[in-house]
Amino acid sequence: MTISKKESINFIPLKTRVRGYIKHPLSLVLLLLVIGAAVIVVGLVAILIGHLLIKGVPHIKPELFEWKYTTTNLSMMPAIINTLIITLLSLVIAVPIGIFSAIYLVEYAKKGSKLVAIIRITTETLSGIPSIVFGLFGLIVFTTMIFKGYSIIGGALTLSIMVLPIIIRTTEEALMSVPDLFREGSFGLGAGKLRTIVRIVLPYAVPGILAGVILSIGRMVGETAALIFTAGTIAGVPTSVNRFGHTVLDVTGSGRTLALHLFELVQNPQTPTDRYFNAAYATAVVLLVLVVGINALSSFIARRLISKV
Amino acid sequence: MYNTNETTLKIRALREAAMKILFTIAACVSILAVLLICVFIFANGIPAIAEIGVTKFLFGRTWKPNADIYGIFPMIIGSLYATAGAIVVGVPIGILMAIFMARFCPKSIYKIIKPFVELLAGIPSVVYGFLGIRILVPLIHSFFPEEKSGSGLLAASIMLGIMILPTIINVSESAIRAVPENYYEGSLALGATHERSVFFTVVPAARSGILASVILGVGRAIGETMAVIWVAGNAPIVPKGLMSSVRTMTSNVVLEMGYATGLHRDALIGTAVVLFVFILIINLCFSAIKRGTK
Amino acid sequence: MRKLLTSILLILALTLTFAACDPAPANDPPAANNPTTNDTPAPSNNTTNETPATPAETPVTPAETTPITGAINVISREDGSGTRGAFVELFDVRIENAEGRKVDDIRQDSDIQNSTGQVLTAVQGNKQAIGYISLGSLDNTVKALKIEGVDATPENVLNGTYSIARPFNIVTNSNSVLSEAAQDFMNFIMSDEGQAIIKAEKYISQGSTGAYTMSSASGTVKVEGSSSISPLMEKIKEAYEAINSNIKIEIQTNDSGRGVTATVEGSCDIGMVSREVRAEEVEQGLDVTAICIDGIAVIVNVDNPLSDVTKADIKEIYQDGGSITRWEEIG
Repeated sequence: MTISKKESINFIPLKTRVRGYIKHPLSLVLLLLVIGAAVIVVGLVAILIGHLLIKGVPHIKPELFEWKYTTTNLSMMPAIINTLIITLLSLVIAVPIGIFSAIYLVEYAKKGSKLVAIIRITTETLSGIPSIVFGLFGLIVFTTMIFKGYSIIGGALTLSIMVLPIIIRTTEEALMSVPDLFREGSFGLGAGKLRTIVRIVLPYAVPGILAGVILSIGRMVGETAALIFTAGTIAGVPTSVNRFGHTVLDVTGSGRTLALHLFELVQNPQTPTDRYFNAAYATAVVLLVLVVGINALSSFIARRLISKV
Repeated sequence: MYNTNETTLKIRALREAAMKILFTIAACVSILAVLLICVFIFANGIPAIAEIGVTKFLFGRTWKPNADIYGIFPMIIGSLYATAGAIVVGVPIGILMAIFMARFCPKSIYKIIKPFVELLAGIPSVVYGFLGIRILVPLIHSFFPEEKSGSGLLAASIMLGIMILPTIINVSESAIRAVPENYYEGSLALGATHERSVFFTVVPAARSGILASVILGVGRAIGETMAVIWVAGNAPIVPKGLMSSVRTMTSNVVLEMGYATGLHRDALIGTAVVLFVFILIINLCFSAIKRGTK
Repeated sequence: MRKLLTSILLILALTLTFAACDPAPANDPPAANNPTTNDTPAPSNNTTNETPATPAETPVTPAETTPITGAINVISREDGSGTRGAFVELFDVRIENAEGRKVDDIRQDSDIQNSTGQVLTAVQGNKQAIGYISLGSLDNTVKALKIEGVDATPENVLNGTYSIARPFNIVTNSNSVLSEAAQDFMNFIMSDEGQAIIKAEKYISQGSTGAYTMSSASGTVKVEGSSSISPLMEKIKEAYEAINSNIKIEIQTNDSGRGVTATVEGSCDIGMVSREVRAEEVEQGLDVTAICIDGIAVIVNVDNPLSDVTKADIKEIYQDGGSITRWEEIG
């Protein structure tokens, strides 16, 4: 019987344990409470996910992935395309701004400067604002003032503000994890600050930044409240005809994302309603797989980063 | 030769300066965003609140937009009740689960349980809402068949309680893990059982982190929208009991913003102003606690 | 390797819980109110040809014999809803305000659902519930009550015996010129082809303007408003786009109030309003076209034995401070 050193210290035979519990019934109660909580949480997740999978997977049918949505096929394909468009647009806006601000915070700002303190407070505030408030802001500014109607671009702008704090924070952490030695070495070889950041610091921080970006994608894909009053709920990919007669994507048109598609299926089912609920279950499964997959990918990359350091 | 070198140096210095300005501007975008959000929400909401009358708006018990009566007291109370319910449901389970994960479970079980918690965190709120009307509401009604329906304060509380679980579990777990090992060992050495050592030395030492997790959870619960509107019943009344219908501030906005015009619309934005103030207070508490621990 | 093991364990746990969680609701004592919520897959495969089967078997259920008791779950729509507006007028669930104008007086503590579909879902899943929806959206997953002994059917609306009906209106902005595309779509709705769809969907047509002739217009037509009209509008849209592929119809579902506002603001071409358009709304600059007549059905759960109510009952159930709050108090 070979027991590792650590185990041998902590190892208590069952008999001693039972005796201990009889002597201290409170300890037993606490133990049971803790185990009970774990069982509840795991059971809960299993019930929720199990219910979704069992009701949803059998209803995932090819017609749910047809290119055009109709009330007969209830296709989620246009919604998936809209999700892609909105996510891409938001990333194009939010990622450069987020990375640049993190670079400023980590590489340029003087420690303890007022500006840094203000930026810290605002990003913290921004990350605590509920998505419905972002949605209202988007409604007032993008929907009513700028684009005069629901639009994909309005939704993307709203989302990009929403995910900005996530990108800033993760990029900041990634940049801070780059050892100062690298920077000093680069300076010592005569490289300028910008060159050091672009050539030395950023490449090293890429996995961390990527993890943050992917995390923000997960947030955007699952978002509804911020989009309902900005991107609108039209069940198709918005297109318009340009002056050459080609049908092109029109980001100023309204289009629902996958999460909003699920919301609309449940919110406005038409008779017979069961068809809508079955489609909703299938859509929920796809949405869940997407979001959970994206989150897992993000934490996988983040973990790789940690093990590398 | 010398000359060109000087120009390149100049260009380089210029580029450095330009990029620095660019980075600074980018960093200011988040300040600008918060400012803009505040300005637009407040500029639309405050005048409406002033027109209705601050006390009438905040403490008025009747919300009847078609009669131009805008009192959001029921919604404020509704949000507070639902959040309190979420705390009652979510916090004990969440903290116990965090203790289990940090101090009780073997590594092999941890590897299985952790993805479950991550899964819970990953479910989008609209999916929670959907599961709420399909599972939770009928289930609650089957326990109370004489009540009018399964939706209401209880359903909203349970829904929100489940949704804040991952926040509480994750933040509390790292807080508990951050407690130095010698606290635990010292307690064991004094003859306390494993459970006693964990509950009476380690957990109290992590209390500010745990409190932070609860506050984060409160912030999430009070701001949650989509999971609530399908299970809460949405009557604009001060809930009289657990089974009573309840409308939160967030659902008030989502339910009526789609068609509201004029003063009604601004009163809804006024509701968001109140919600915003709540969130700001919660944020302040959170950062105060965070600073306290540092 | 470890990941694989974890995922296998996860799946195992899931299957276990499936086994554990599905029979659970069936064990509940009031199993009577469960079939509609938990056994939804059962009616899911019923297409129109099976429709007569379900009403036929409803009287056989044992729940039918026991009178319903308990609190009434009053379900209403939000203020902006056209169905709500028409409902309060037809049942006179109103109160005179200070200026002597009659305004909506629905119970403050009634549950609010903000779409036709949500009212349907809530009533499907709850034996205690009562709600009201567009007659055209009615299906056999809920039961429509007879009002004063008259069945809620399109035929009875047409012959005037079922008086709970209102027009479906579409509105356009009278201050700006309607786009050719929108005009073409409106022509289609009012044509033989459009009205044929309306009849097929069980709404009451008031006659058509002849065969549809396609114009050369192209572009996008934005339609916004009532969630009672949008199911019909979706069907019309699909038929229309099949004939005229040059024009794209975008339907945004909200409610009648939004239909009016969006049209006045100009953010949509055509607004859908499922009630009479009010005089003050017309003054804002609206042209109103009634496309058909639709009844309002008062619905209860299929397990609710009640089948007939009076207008006065409905008023007492829905009015703020009304005398009926429990099912046993009816009749």
